[in-house]
Amino acid sequence: MALASVSVLLAAACKPMHLGDLGNLAKLIWQFLSLSLFSLGGGNTLLAEYHHLSVDKYCWLTNSQFADLYALAEAAPGPSSMIVGLLGLGAGWHEGPLWALLSAYGAEIAILLPSTLVMVMACLGWRQFEHSPLRVAFERGLGPITLGILFAVGLKIVRTADVTRAGTLSIPGVIVSIVVCVLMLRTRISPLWFMAFAGVLGALGIINR
Amino acid sequence: MTESTDPGVIPEPSGPPTHSQIFLGMLQVALSAFGGGLSAWSQRIVVEQKRWMSNEEFLTGLTVARLFPGPNQINMAVYIGTQFRGLSGALVALAGMLLVPFTLLMGLGVLYFSVHELPAVDRVLAGVVAAAAGMALSMGFKILNQYWKDPVALLLAAVMFAGLAFAHLRLVPLVLVMGPIAMAWYWPRQEASGS
Repeated sequence: MALASVSVLLAAACKPMHLGDLGNLAKLIWQFLSLSLFSLGGGNTLLAEYHHLSVDKYCWLTNSQFADLYALAEAAPGPSSMIVGLLGLGAGWHEGPLWALLSAYGAEIAILLPSTLVMVMACLGWRQFEHSPLRVAFERGLGPITLGILFAVGLKIVRTADVTRAGTLSIPGVIVSIVVCVLMLRTRISPLWFMAFAGVLGALGIINR
Repeated sequence: MTESTDPGVIPEPSGPPTHSQIFLGMLQVALSAFGGGLSAWSQRIVVEQKRWMSNEEFLTGLTVARLFPGPNQINMAVYIGTQFRGLSGALVALAGMLLVPFTLLMGLGVLYFSVHELPAVDRVLAGVVAAAAGMALSMGFKILNQYWKDPVALLLAAVMFAGLAFAHLRLVPLVLVMGPIAMAWYWPRQEASGS
């Protein structure tokens, strides 16, 4: 996996952005504000962009930390889009708990604010909008776009989660991911069970990184 | 099976829920949905249990929530809040949906960053993330079925996928180019030509 090892090298070369000043905090908030309106079809379409920002561009997190936080956000109660708060927490972690929480809350509010404002306006004006051709085109046109993004996001997360420290693909990890994917589609078992079971496989050393 | 309640049943005319009822209702939804299934839970609680709105109103809300950008569950909370109490209702619903779970998640996050370098923790997490990646992988397949009979939709999706996964284009510019193309293709036409 030559590509994966290149990205590990790049990650090592990238200097983490320090959040200990308000200018950098504002930059972080701006990044999430400007992504907000592109969270089509639910928040998960932005996951690969979050990875790009926090691992490749600003080096707030390592590859495996990103994968861990994704799993944490999926497992915890509440909307899984709260992962942005965890990314903010990671971004500010080295500056101490106060900055960490500040950037966590800042990032979460930033990712939610623009889309929420649009949603409020949509709810208040829905009756006029409901039958307009724009709405029909928007709904039908963005479906396939979302479909393509979700496949790219799935692949990105697999390549983030199932890699070893050396940057090679972890074959047992990929097998477990594919099995869980099939079970998610075919059964209605709670994904928490899959995570717990895979956690045991990890503890036993069957899946490593 | 519980999805279609008797269409003759009208929600109790006990007046719209108050701000604190909305807050508590949304909190209940958020905490019920451990590991996903949030919209199913909000339907169960808001429509079946509390009878704040009819199933039809709820499904309209879900359509709006999915159509507009933003996480579906957050948008659904906004819809429920505005439906009863306008803007302040939306704020209260959001607070109910987010405050407790987010605080809990931040606690977990702090715990994570404190212990994740311990070898034992890292080993367990190496397994957990493989399962979580499987969940991410299933998202696309979940909605794939509805597009099988539409070759143009599959082409648009393939272009998006290739652009993001192989050409490493960024999402925002790609959506700004492909979004309008897709909308133009699906613009409702009077004559029976095209799709």
